Amino acid sequence: MRTSDRTRWRRLILAGLAGYVALAAGCAPQANHGPPVAIGVESQYANVLSQVGSPYVTVRAIETNPNTDPHDFEASPAVAREIDRASLIVENGLGYDAWIDPLIAAVPRPDRRVLVVSRLLGLPADTVNPHLWYDPRTMPAVARAAAAAFAAMDPAHAAYFAANARRFDASLTPWRQQIAAFRARYAGTPVAVTEPVADLLLQAAGCRILTPMALQLALMNGTDPSPQDVATEQALLRDRSVKVFVYNQQVTDALTTSLLQLARSEHIPVVGVYETMPQPGYDYQRWMVAQMRALRAAVARGVSTDTLGQ
Amino acid sequence: MGAISAFGLMGGFWSNQPVRVALAVGGGAALVCAVVGLSTVMRRQAFAGHALADVSGAGGSAAYLLGINPLFGFLGMAAGAAGVMEWAQVRDARERDLLTGVVLGAGLGLAALLLYLDMTVRSVSGAAITVLFGSMFTIPPSIVPVALAVAAAALVASALIFRPLLVSTLSVDLARAQGVSVRTTALIHAMALALAVSLSAMTVGAILSTALLIGPAAAALRVARRPASALVLAALIGLVATWGGIALAYQSYYWTPGRGWPVSFFIVMLIICAYLVASGIARLRAGAPDAPPLSGCQEH
Repeated sequence: MRTSDRTRWRRLILAGLAGYVALAAGCAPQANHGPPVAIGVESQYANVLSQVGSPYVTVRAIETNPNTDPHDFEASPAVAREIDRASLIVENGLGYDAWIDPLIAAVPRPDRRVLVVSRLLGLPADTVNPHLWYDPRTMPAVARAAAAAFAAMDPAHAAYFAANARRFDASLTPWRQQIAAFRARYAGTPVAVTEPVADLLLQAAGCRILTPMALQLALMNGTDPSPQDVATEQALLRDRSVKVFVYNQQVTDALTTSLLQLARSEHIPVVGVYETMPQPGYDYQRWMVAQMRALRAAVARGVSTDTLGQ
Repeated sequence: MGAISAFGLMGGFWSNQPVRVALAVGGGAALVCAVVGLSTVMRRQAFAGHALADVSGAGGSAAYLLGINPLFGFLGMAAGAAGVMEWAQVRDARERDLLTGVVLGAGLGLAALLLYLDMTVRSVSGAAITVLFGSMFTIPPSIVPVALAVAAAALVASALIFRPLLVSTLSVDLARAQGVSVRTTALIHAMALALAVSLSAMTVGAILSTALLIGPAAAALRVARRPASALVLAALIGLVATWGGIALAYQSYYWTPGRGWPVSFFIVMLIICAYLVASGIARLRAGAPDAPPLSGCQEH
């Protein structure tokens, strides 16, 4: 998925030499630093960019640690350097990665494109659930937009990028079939969740999410939940009104931990979901297929999938 | 509509598990804070109490990192800091304030690091809000027996040293003449203070912990004339503020579009209201040449 460090260094050295030669020749044009760099702020966007652009685009991700809550991400100077070199930046939008906007503004580049996924999908700014990559419609649109952006940066490979975007779209077919099959058989399945991480996928699969949105948002934002909503959620589990408890692996607190214990003691199957792409061994397609398989296993056979294996 | 919503409140309120946990833990914290807070205010240790609470926040943050009961985290850190501050035994008030300030700064600095690690290493969401400002409705029910045991221990310790502490607060020499071990009494009081701020930190958070410790005691001392009546009044104010705050936070769910306001806000506001009312009463009384109120010792 990513150009190895050694090749990168080799390219840098070559680029440096080329620049030196150009300078020595006295014409000093804009030094060519090898293939353009694209950033996916979250690792899942970087993965799609890489599937469309590699090897003619060098792709980097900023948030890659699945153990960290992306909402709490703090930027480092190294991130600012990466941004400086990037010709394309894909961010989620809806405040999810708002911290990156001032960093982008701080290192302006006339030829840089910033692709905000929420705007690409035409979502209003007050959309409450920012976890857009769980919506089956999101990534094909991102892949197409990335192909167009790459084509503008590197017109010689435009056809290659467009073909990759189509191939990516086609590679999601098994996942779409899983969703359709689930929907046909288990539409209306009641589920409880912690954060709204996988809500868009659950909705696409026809599940009914019974957890109050206010509680999901309180857990997502780390604010005080109201006791009414906590009691509602506890009752969902205690009365076994839900078939599955969808639990965000990456973000826990005292309340989510006690809810998890309650779900276990009531023998409600648990499905662990991830906010950023689990690594290693996963690309976007495999990740989504694995989440869908876990959901199906929970509903059809009552099997828990706490974490995704490799 | 008012009657209907009040009925609805009472119906759901008592059967709501997070509310019951909050009432139990908050009630215990309010009682202990009233008793310990009273002697703390009289000994002019309000600032030390505040520092202990802030330092205990580092322990609460560490608990998330270690995956242990947060109450033990608060408790361990507060007890350690109380021991250090009592051991240092600085007589000069200015020196003592400086030392307290330094300890407070160190504790909050440590809390900043530990909270950062909570979020990045253990991915605990909302740890900062919970530790610093409290999140009563997310307290796991398993904490209730532990919290009540801690509260009982603090109350027993305070009862045991109530007399000797009162005497040594008034005059160290008098206490020595009566055969009171001033040092031991002070140490036990410091430990009771650590227990009180830990419970209070669980309830309204480490930062607001002082409000519950100092507020009801300070308000009671404005109007009460005897230690016993001050004790009862402080306990009453603490309980009413805490339970009232919980009820208001519960009710705020219906004023707002489904998002209740933080319970810590309501508790602290009620405490401040009680203090203002007590101050008003004290001022009205000041005209009459009556017996002087107990509070020769005002807040820091």
